[in-house]
Amino acid sequence: MIVIVIGAGEVGYNISDILSKEGNDIIIIDKDEDRLKHVSENLDVQTIVGSGSSPQVLKKAKLSQAEMVVAVTDSDETNIVACLLASAQSTSPFKIARIRNPDLNRDSALFDKSHLNIDLCINPEREAVNDVINLMEYSGASEVIDFSEGRVKLVSFYVDSECSSVGKNLQQIMEIYQYGEDILIASITRDNEPIIPSGKTVIKERDRLFVFAKSENVRNMLKFFGKKEEPSERVFIIGGGNTALMLAELLEKKGVDTIKIIEKRQDRCEMLASRLDRAICLHGDGTSQDLLKEENIQDTDYFIAVTDDEEANILSALLAKQLGAKKTIALVNKASYAHLIPLLGIDGVMNPRRASIGKILHFIRKGKVISATPLGDEKAEAVEFIALETSDITNTPLKDIKFPKGTIIGAITRDDEVIIPGGDSVILPGDHVILVALRSSIPQIEKILTVKLDYFG
Amino acid sequence: MNARNILYILGTLILFLGLTMFFPLFCSLYYGEGDSSAFVYSLLITSCIGALFYFLFRPVNGKISLTHKEGFLIVATGWFLAASFGSLPYMIQGVLPQFGDAFFESISGFTTTGATVITNIGDLPHGILLWRSLTQWLGGMGIIILSIAILPLLGVGGMQLYKAELPSPVKDKITPRVAETARTLWIVYIIISIVEFIMLLTGGMDVFNSICHTFTTMATGGFSTSDASIAHFHSAYIDGIITFFMLVAGINFTLHYSLITGNFKAIFKNSELLLYLGIILTAVIIVTISLKQNSVYEAGGYLRYASFQVVSVLTTTGFTTANFDNWPSLSKIILLVLMFIGGSAGSTGGGMKCLRILLILKHIYKELYGLVHPHAVTAVKLGKKIVYPETMASIWGFFMLYLMMTIVASIILTMLGLDMMTAFSSVVATIGNVGPGFGAVNPSATYSEIPYLGKWVLSFCMLAGRLEIYTVIILFIPEFWKR
Repeated sequence: MIVIVIGAGEVGYNISDILSKEGNDIIIIDKDEDRLKHVSENLDVQTIVGSGSSPQVLKKAKLSQAEMVVAVTDSDETNIVACLLASAQSTSPFKIARIRNPDLNRDSALFDKSHLNIDLCINPEREAVNDVINLMEYSGASEVIDFSEGRVKLVSFYVDSECSSVGKNLQQIMEIYQYGEDILIASITRDNEPIIPSGKTVIKERDRLFVFAKSENVRNMLKFFGKKEEPSERVFIIGGGNTALMLAELLEKKGVDTIKIIEKRQDRCEMLASRLDRAICLHGDGTSQDLLKEENIQDTDYFIAVTDDEEANILSALLAKQLGAKKTIALVNKASYAHLIPLLGIDGVMNPRRASIGKILHFIRKGKVISATPLGDEKAEAVEFIALETSDITNTPLKDIKFPKGTIIGAITRDDEVIIPGGDSVILPGDHVILVALRSSIPQIEKILTVKLDYFG
Repeated sequence: MNARNILYILGTLILFLGLTMFFPLFCSLYYGEGDSSAFVYSLLITSCIGALFYFLFRPVNGKISLTHKEGFLIVATGWFLAASFGSLPYMIQGVLPQFGDAFFESISGFTTTGATVITNIGDLPHGILLWRSLTQWLGGMGIIILSIAILPLLGVGGMQLYKAELPSPVKDKITPRVAETARTLWIVYIIISIVEFIMLLTGGMDVFNSICHTFTTMATGGFSTSDASIAHFHSAYIDGIITFFMLVAGINFTLHYSLITGNFKAIFKNSELLLYLGIILTAVIIVTISLKQNSVYEAGGYLRYASFQVVSVLTTTGFTTANFDNWPSLSKIILLVLMFIGGSAGSTGGGMKCLRILLILKHIYKELYGLVHPHAVTAVKLGKKIVYPETMASIWGFFMLYLMMTIVASIILTMLGLDMMTAFSSVVATIGNVGPGFGAVNPSATYSEIPYLGKWVLSFCMLAGRLEIYTVIILFIPEFWKR
């Protein structure tokens, strides 16, 4: 598949990296020659210097042969124009655009077939805000991913010293787990490397676990692993950008008691105050101790730093923690910081970049895949798909199916029923299957899922 | 640096090289001239050592990624090893018993230079002759690029190797994947080779000679199967065909790709191609006139001899149909200058490459323009793209390095007792991968008279010239080896 990626920023770079390693031909367009140099030195892709909204440049990128256009520049308008040009010059490609402006996003009819004809619009901030809301619902988790309309959740958290399962292997853990059988440890990230565990894998402190559970069991599960339930009644938000606005609006809707937003710019504060009903807009610096103390930081349940400055987010989250905030979440995009966060004592990360990569990947996966999400350091991936009658995996006990190395079936949902499977479970046609696999084996899995389909189709 | 990955790739390369020895082996079996055992031994030694490294250092999982440094190191040592193992047949067969001689012949093959130390080429067994030609053909488009095309293992790592081997200051890919680009280049190379093979056959050349000469023409190599080179065939048709294909091989292969894919615009707009053709046309006219005025060939055929020699020298092939050492001085100096210029970037030709000369001329013009209009904002442009000052700096650096190497090597050769013309022209002819020079290394002589140490100096020049100096010289910079 030929994929044209417009914009070589963090999202464009990472999408290209993943897709190129999966065997797609990638052509990256960007105006910035230096950035492209960095890309071509690290990825096996073709680079073209130029504007993604220029017809000549797109023609040079062999738009007519491309099957997909991913427009992820910083400018919404460039992205839209690039997708429009793609529609005009070629009939086939899927078009994905990153649209940040919340005003544009609200009017989703604009993007349908008869108007702009963009197949997928991503708003990284919105995706990330949804993640944060999920995190707040399940305190103690550092990431919560929904599957099957939220009935199955893949919850990730760091094992700390309070956890009673440190030093035990998975089999022992399942024996002492008092809430029934329906959880499944799908992946462990240790020292930045994903491990797909077996019954003999021993849990260590500071491991990051990825656990499948039915949504109603998530709280019990977290309690078992030593994560206390915390209220989320008082929330502090640092930074007053679109992300903060979106977050505050959602929190207001959910009925959170106290929301305080700290923003540096006066005019932005006024705008926020006019858009929000109950939230308190404070004009000041989020890293100022005096201001935080004045506003009773010690009583805060959640402190969420979402300014444009990632380093400042981390530092202010640390400061808040030290001043007594119970839980802290920082917006951090840089992948290289990701594994630092738990070491620092920050409870959660909001990562718009990863959120959008997950959304795009989900869209790109072939066959009957419903959703795909990168896990942890993005070396593993969770995939939800519908089992086809023609596929090899149906009607056979799981233990007899030959999956690629490092694959684990995390959950099966059948109509209203959710099954956390064991070796004897059988997948029936039409089931939603959720699995976790190392990224390197994703193409093989795709093949297993689709091979027979192609045969008949 | 990851020694494991480096050894693995080198091992694969050697293994692969060993397998190519099957071709001369079959040829020697067919002709039955007693050189088969030499190839059996060479093949076994080469492939076994290669296979040993291959299996010992096979990567545990996934693709290999390489750093710039590793890329340079692999390419430079890869070529050195290829030439070393490639010299085995010459030594075992006893054609050139001394390693220095055999290595010279081998590296002259792989770097497509075409300088030989063998005096009676016509007496060689067919297997050895085919091996000489085959080394040139493999080296022409690049052994590393060939292995990138065939080995699926090299992902991004392939790009580092590609960049370190491709003879061009501008290293663009024509397809998104480096392996695909390498494959495309090789396919174009093979297609044109097949066309030439058929054309030579129709000209009355036998199959064996057609294969050998196709190999050495397309690689702009210059090894022939007789001492008299192409003059041996006494055929204006063959002269013409070979002139044409030398010309073609000296053009950037991405342009041939454009031609095959029907993108004619790219060809007419290419300023390097215009310069290349312009240089040839001018040189042919000057040399023809100069020959005619001195009545070198009373029987006529000035244009034929002039064009063959000019194209052969500019594309750095080194075939000859006349001993240009006996030509008038004007013709000789023109040919010497052509040796410096060389073929187009991205072709199989050597030398400094027309593209660099073009950009240097444009840069000089830009400087002069800036003197006339001190406030003018100007840039060196290639087509519609700006050539950035860093690229220009690297080209000037290359230019200076090239000249410095020529001077230093010439001085060393004169210290070894060679006369000035022989020393200088042999260095120019080897660093430019041309082959024959002037004086004692003129087209009808060989390099066998060069002192033993001198052969090593020239071998080094050939390797440095083929890998565009930087890739080789960088290994001698202490900074390269610092952790």
